[in-house]
Amino acid sequence: MSGLIGQINPGLLLVLVGFAGCLIPVQRVRQALMVGTPVVAMLLLALAERGTDLAMVSVLDLELILYRVDSLSFIFGLAFLIAAFLNAIYALHTDDRLQDGMALAYAGAAVSATFAGDLMTLFVFWEITAVSSVFLILRAGTKAAYQAAMRYLGVQIFSGVLLLDGLAYVYKSTGSLSLDAFTSFDQPGAVLIFIAFAIKAAFPFLHNWLQDAYPKATVVGAVVLSAFTTKLAVYAFARMFPGFEILIWIGAIMTVFPVFFAVIENDLRKVLSYSLNNQLGFMICAIGIGTPLAINGAAAHAFAHIIYKGLLFMSMGAVLYRVGTAKASELGGLYKSMPWTTIFCIIGAVSISAFPLFSGFVAKAMTMSAVATEGYVIIWLMLLFASAGVLEHSGIKIPYFTFFGHDSGIRVKEAPFNMLLAMGMAAFICIAIGLPTIGGFGYGWLYNMLPCTTTAPADVCMISGKEIKPYPPYTVDHVLTQLQLLMFAVLAFILLKRFGLYPPEKPGTILDTDWLYRKPGFGMVKWAGTVWGKAGPAMTAFFAGLGARTFEKIETTFSPRGALARGPLTVSMAMWSAVLLGIVMLVVLVAS
Amino acid sequence: MTLPPERDSSGRFIKPEDDAPKPSDENMHPLSRLLFGWVSSPRTPLFLLILVILICAGLVVFDLAVNRHEYLDFANANGFYAIWGFAAFGLAVLSGWPLGKLLRRDEDYYGEAETTPQDVESDS
Repeated sequence: MSGLIGQINPGLLLVLVGFAGCLIPVQRVRQALMVGTPVVAMLLLALAERGTDLAMVSVLDLELILYRVDSLSFIFGLAFLIAAFLNAIYALHTDDRLQDGMALAYAGAAVSATFAGDLMTLFVFWEITAVSSVFLILRAGTKAAYQAAMRYLGVQIFSGVLLLDGLAYVYKSTGSLSLDAFTSFDQPGAVLIFIAFAIKAAFPFLHNWLQDAYPKATVVGAVVLSAFTTKLAVYAFARMFPGFEILIWIGAIMTVFPVFFAVIENDLRKVLSYSLNNQLGFMICAIGIGTPLAINGAAAHAFAHIIYKGLLFMSMGAVLYRVGTAKASELGGLYKSMPWTTIFCIIGAVSISAFPLFSGFVAKAMTMSAVATEGYVIIWLMLLFASAGVLEHSGIKIPYFTFFGHDSGIRVKEAPFNMLLAMGMAAFICIAIGLPTIGGFGYGWLYNMLPCTTTAPADVCMISGKEIKPYPPYTVDHVLTQLQLLMFAVLAFILLKRFGLYPPEKPGTILDTDWLYRKPGFGMVKWAGTVWGKAGPAMTAFFAGLGARTFEKIETTFSPRGALARGPLTVSMAMWSAVLLGIVMLVVLVAS
Repeated sequence: MTLPPERDSSGRFIKPEDDAPKPSDENMHPLSRLLFGWVSSPRTPLFLLILVILICAGLVVFDLAVNRHEYLDFANANGFYAIWGFAAFGLAVLSGWPLGKLLRRDEDYYGEAETTPQDVESDS
């Protein structure tokens, strides 16, 4: 019995219940399903056998593997399910059928894509994540959100189309839709699939859909969005492109550039979106390194990140919900009325900053160590810079300008209980997986789930010949150096504030790469439309006139009433035709 | 673009005039008073600065006593992480001045300024 139940894809269950949830009008019934289904799904996942194809279906001669769990997909899938559960609790104060249902379907699609055993299944759920998640932006109900949602959908669907193109090349050349890792860009489809993943992972210059759309989503929507799409792309990279050196450099650039944007951004949900980009950089860089330690680092970072980034988005969502804005220039002093939200936000902030005893510390440590071990000095220095940058925008800016700093005089009620409960649970996980292991409690729980262990199958830890040793995060060296980095950065903050050197938070729009398609790109399309609007009718009239004149000429010449049909000419034409025919026959006779 | 009135041209907060109404703390949440009551004390900023300086000094001194084994040799230098953390943070923050001037536009630069999502029930 447990074997049969263990073959049910937990993600598919979430998708089906999510779509059905959109039709359930009774709020409490629907919400019970939204909260309960991820719990059931976690139980199903626990029963699943690892490393075998658990559910298959044959479509148009294609053998699709709908459910396959291994040590890499397990940790990502579990993180997605925990996030789905926390998000459902966070949304309990709302009565929005579409949002509830689509949030669960979106989570389910991400889980299903993670447990997909072939490229086609991955593609199908890849697209469902795009289509279901767009409602979380649309439900904000503003014009800006609608426009951002359309841009978001366009980008996401484009990623899907590239993936479909790529898998067609793979199928044509190998006859298989296997998710086996590529070894070079020369393989058919590799580049297309790489770009498809790169769009969803928000690589530099392809990143702006994220900062454009997430901050415009609903309060709940932004929390949900923060968990799935980008981490699914990270998983896909870990599955298919481990050890690709270009990822090391792309990842390092991803960690650094958002730091500068986050410093000057005023909308704190957008700051968190830039911070998300920065965190993805660490994971992408680790995947590029590709050693077992690095792959473990990427997976641990993704797990920890899903929880603490969700927590930070939850706290900013709670502020937005109560105050009506998440702009730093309008906030301050909220600790006086939202103490619980303040505490949970601080826990999220110290976790993402990687302070010892919190989840970011034990997760990021492996990536930093893997980069240093492989001797990438410049990359390591970039990541170290980005670590101080994370402290700046997510560790200090978010809690300081919201809850402390200048007292804005805003006094509101504390966040609704369900929001506090979700934040409390997320905060608990941030601490629980960050503490030293004492009696089975602590980071050991996270480390035991990592993809590359001594018992893990070789196809997950792709780089062979590397010894897999347990990684100890709590060494004197590591704690000391991390505290030095962070505390001196805190000192820099205090001094910069004290001497008035910290740039003030100002309202405004910060230009990023989306300027290219929102200003010149949109301008060109608009110009082309105007030109076509005017040139089109003129060209139609010109060709219609030309056609009419030509027809008139032909008719006056060749019609029964035309010039050629008149008597004398017809007679002479007949005579000349007979003469020419005679000459031709004579030539043929002579020649033969 | 004009600065918010509560800051001067270099971004520092202007101390409120004596007759300016101060935000009331009457309705402060009891938990806030218990956990964060010390935050609004005028001596807190100086106290925090001294505390952080002491912690930083302690970390550098402790570094002298520890023989670290880094994969990258230069990182073994005493205080390397301290200098890097301080400089990186300073660079990131100070870059905000020129970058803000370069990249910041009006809120309605792309058309209508963003408005609040409909699931917000602000009671402020």
